[in-house]
Amino acid sequence: MASLITCPHCGTRPKEEFSIRGTALTRPHPAASEEDWHRYVYLRDNPKGRYQEYWHHAAGCRRWLVVDRDNVTHDVFSVTDAAPARGASE
Amino acid sequence: MSLTLFHRHVLEDYLSDFGTKANPNHLAVIRRPAIFSVLAHRGHDASVENELKSVEGIDVRDCAPGEWLVVSTSAGAAAIENLLADIAGASIVDQSDGRALLRVHGPNVRKILAKCVAVDLHPDSFPIGTSANMLCCHVAVNLARTGADTFEIAVPRSFCGSVFEEVMEMGREFALTAAFADS
Ligand SMILES: [Zn+2]
Repeated sequence: MASLITCPHCGTRPKEEFSIRGTALTRPHPAASEEDWHRYVYLRDNPKGRYQEYWHHAAGCRRWLVVDRDNVTHDVFSVTDAAPARGASE
Repeated sequence: MSLTLFHRHVLEDYLSDFGTKANPNHLAVIRRPAIFSVLAHRGHDASVENELKSVEGIDVRDCAPGEWLVVSTSAGAAAIENLLADIAGASIVDQSDGRALLRVHGPNVRKILAKCVAVDLHPDSFPIGTSANMLCCHVAVNLARTGADTFEIAVPRSFCGSVFEEVMEMGREFALTAAFADS
């Protein structure tokens, strides 16, 4: 059930502890074209099914997470810390 | 500095404190805990954690990777600051006036807290010494198990009144009492 999210740092928590930032998109290079930036800032696919989003564990570890879930079946496939994926940590 | 906030406890208006006799289920509001936030610099998570756990006379509470709360109910903030100042690769911030410390204990403490938090507090999954940030009565707090039937909640000061009233409400069916305590 998507209302229970298993944070890699805190364990299984209710969704009320999190706030959702939206699709986990890769940020374009600063010198990327206007079109790329426009797509990154404004355009979303809004798929029915599997979806990767940034979730902030606001009431727990306060880390940014990437939640891979299905918005139809509410299955959660994985929850990972967002920092290593961006090469930001250590 | 924080002196004026410190000398008037945020729960002063919530507790009459006229020699209330403590029931088996009791909530103690620690009058002047020393609470510090410790953040490890990048790459120093493990070394800072090791050093923290070797310091005597403090309780270390887990918040997040590389982030802890250091709590002491016996020593003052200045003494704790000295103890922590030597730790390499860490930043420390005094939170003593920013957090209130509530200690709930008694035979029904888990039944009371089950109505406040969504985390499984069974000893198998939350044994003595465990601590974590979590939502308690809609407020992000740090909750720690310090004994078989004892939990400590570090609540942000400005939300403390709300959390206190709600925990007391949840404890009514178990005759939960509350009073200030010095340590
Ligand atoms: Zn978390």
